[in-house]
Amino acid sequence: MTIGHYLLRRLAFALLLVLLVSSAAFLLTRLAPGDFTIEQGLTITAEERARLAADLGLDRPLAVQYGAWLGRAVRLDFGPSFLYSRPVADLLGERAANTAVLALAALIVATVLGVPAGVLSGRRAGATRRVVRGVSLLLLSVPPLVSSLVLVWIAARTGWLPLGGMTSLASDGSWSGWVADLARHLPLPVLALALPVAATLERLQSQALAEASREPFVAAAVARGLSWDRAVAAHAWPASLRAVLSVYGLIIGALFSGSFIVEVVTAWPGLGRLMYDALRARDLYLVAGCAATGAAFLAVGTLVSDLLLRWADPRLGGGGVSR
Amino acid sequence: MNRQSRALLFILIVAGVLGIGYYLRTAVAPPAAPLALDEGPAAPAVRGGTLVASLRAEPRSFNRLTSRDYATEIVAMLTQGRLVRVNRATEEVEPWLAESWTVSPDGLTYTLTLREGVRWSDGAPFTSDDVVFTLAAVDDPRNASVLATSMRIDGAPLAVTAPDPRTVVVTFPTPFGPGIRLLDNLTIAPRHLLGDAAAAGTLAEAWTASTPPGEMAGLGPFMLVRYEPGQRLVFDRNPRYWRTDGRGEALPYLDRLVLDIVPDQNAELLRLESGQIDMVQQHLRPEDLSAARTLATAGRLRLLELGVGLDPDAFFFNLRPAKWASDPRAAWMPRAEFRHAISHAVDREAFANTVFLGAAVPVHGPITPGNKTWFSPNVPRYGYDQARARALLEGLGLTLNAATGFAEDAAGTRARFSVLTYSGNTQLMRGAEVLREDLRAIGVEMDIVPLEPNALIQRMLSGDFDAIYFNYFATDTDPAMSKDFWLSSGSAHVWHIGQATPATDWERTIDDLMTRQAASLDHEERVRLFNDVQRIFAEQLPVIYFAAPRLFIGVSSRVTHYTAGPIRPQLLWSPDSLAVAPAATP
Repeated sequence: MTIGHYLLRRLAFALLLVLLVSSAAFLLTRLAPGDFTIEQGLTITAEERARLAADLGLDRPLAVQYGAWLGRAVRLDFGPSFLYSRPVADLLGERAANTAVLALAALIVATVLGVPAGVLSGRRAGATRRVVRGVSLLLLSVPPLVSSLVLVWIAARTGWLPLGGMTSLASDGSWSGWVADLARHLPLPVLALALPVAATLERLQSQALAEASREPFVAAAVARGLSWDRAVAAHAWPASLRAVLSVYGLIIGALFSGSFIVEVVTAWPGLGRLMYDALRARDLYLVAGCAATGAAFLAVGTLVSDLLLRWADPRLGGGGVSR
Repeated sequence: MNRQSRALLFILIVAGVLGIGYYLRTAVAPPAAPLALDEGPAAPAVRGGTLVASLRAEPRSFNRLTSRDYATEIVAMLTQGRLVRVNRATEEVEPWLAESWTVSPDGLTYTLTLREGVRWSDGAPFTSDDVVFTLAAVDDPRNASVLATSMRIDGAPLAVTAPDPRTVVVTFPTPFGPGIRLLDNLTIAPRHLLGDAAAAGTLAEAWTASTPPGEMAGLGPFMLVRYEPGQRLVFDRNPRYWRTDGRGEALPYLDRLVLDIVPDQNAELLRLESGQIDMVQQHLRPEDLSAARTLATAGRLRLLELGVGLDPDAFFFNLRPAKWASDPRAAWMPRAEFRHAISHAVDREAFANTVFLGAAVPVHGPITPGNKTWFSPNVPRYGYDQARARALLEGLGLTLNAATGFAEDAAGTRARFSVLTYSGNTQLMRGAEVLREDLRAIGVEMDIVPLEPNALIQRMLSGDFDAIYFNYFATDTDPAMSKDFWLSSGSAHVWHIGQATPATDWERTIDDLMTRQAASLDHEERVRLFNDVQRIFAEQLPVIYFAAPRLFIGVSSRVTHYTAGPIRPQLLWSPDSLAVAPAATP
């Protein structure tokens, strides 16, 4: 299989994933108790509620609604948001970019912290391993709500960082000023998102490296005269990456789909918050649009992860990739 | 890592976190200052400055005529004008864009004189045409205005004419007790900007949240100049705003007002504490009060007590006859005596202390002492008396089964029901737990079913529930403005919504009293009629109330010249008079 065929196959997979996930979101939201007319609470009469449902097309049979939505969605028209009276695509465009900035930064921080920590704890036993693993365990055990609030609390107490938002009002409007302002707002949500992911990567990397270090080819390298550290760095670590990279795609997908809790606590204007509000209000088309965007991020994440995996382990090309 | 090492590591980390926390707390805490409660303006307001308030959600639209969400309402309060204003502190109607009015002897016709020289923020003159246009647009069904129902009296629209640019004549179809108070709800829209959309029936698509601020105009003290979705709304002073203060100085005092969107209430309090916002939009939760008091004592914020809230949590049974048609509990559960027994079972003092952590007062009806005009203390009360509760149950044929500890009827059906409540609302969940324990003491079993709001309302509307425990916000203190709750045909008559004809005699009586009360132009008569309504309501107890919160709101000590009221937005309802103290110069 050529790389072109491979990428085409992955693109088809991505499209199928987006279609399935957004359709499932549409159908589940529609089948869940309540609809957008309920969002109006008790302020409207039954007649007004029925009129609103008819105006929004919610009185039509499910199959008809789904068919109409699908017909538009394949042309990338996700319809209007009931909540905001705006095209869903516009809302997604605003928020997906914000989430992508946060997710990319969190991914970098998680990788930079998690993988070296995993190498450190996986390479040698002793106090270092115990401390690293203990910290990992703690980070994995703390719920995101608590960790986010603790970080916001520390920021409030110290005044070192803004407590939330993506940019400040005082931003001077220049490109460099905007970037500097963004950089001041990023640490809080990035740490809240990245620390548990870093802990996950540390556990994976540590375990994979410990296993790879026990492989015969590492012993053979040491027998050839390489130091233990060199043998681990040159042979065991590349081999261990496969386990880490295999979940990397899922991590990318999860980060880029938006974290509702972190975004709410740190007031980050991302996709997670938008999706939560849409779900609460049963904003059918917006829920489906958010789900489609999340699925697209997941598909891209798994593609990146697979490509990295192939780079780390050429055997995975299965002889198919042209060489 | 062995178990001992893990334990040691855990202890070290916890000790470290506590140590850092203690250091940070002691390192940055300013010297203690006396607790400030509701300090009024002492010196003339200083002109200028920026005030930052929080907003829990972002606006769904900038068009108040077609959007009812709270954030849109706040934006309209800042940027738009009304003919009259209900003062949230005194509950009185005040002249606003209409500087005066006269009423015809029959009370049906109001002739309003508009202020002279008022201009929209874009410079266009404001005239009576704008008022006529707004009311017509609201009443046009093609525009699906959210204000349409509230601007009708018993289903009939107001008639509006404009004899000259400064005069508006509003004729009510039938006598209406609150009278011109009704117009406090009506945001006046600019004909010169929205006329085409309203004529085309596309008003809902005008002024959405993506409309550039420059394309909108208002009569309020501020103009929206920037909207950063998900982050903030920025408002600058409207230089054409009409109002001046007692010294003749143009309002508003503030140069700029910013609404930061902070969805999480914990983060909101931390922002207030750190000085990143100056005020919160809504009263504090009971669980936040202790921390807020500590901060107030330390001089880091001002804690304002707003009095008793108008919105007690409500507990009610499903009283639709269809619900009980084939239910084995039909002989006793929908009966008033059963509701009386439930009311007697609850120790309201303990309820207020446990659920609201002491920041509440016991109540026995929907009108709390916070509603100074309409509260009646002389209604029947079914206070804490467990022996009486058990006797009432026995009168209904429910006797205690010693083996199970629960009451049963002659057929062996246990006194048991489920109650729906909002999941994630800590106050309601605490309340439901207390109720369960109190009811268990008289042999009634209650199962708690937490649901998210949309699902709960859906179950309520479809009648698929035994009982519900929830809360909702009052928007006005005058009961005639809440007829949808009192009338059997009302959309908020929660125990049996939207009846074609009254299902019971007592509901028919309340319908009659409320109709007369709303139509009466004599205040004393209105009070008397509404006292009768409250008495019948208390006797029948279709909704049981236990406690009303005492409301507190946090505000930065740099904010001055605020006037707080019990209805939200408790501080921003009067934005033109808000001011901030200038920063201290070294």
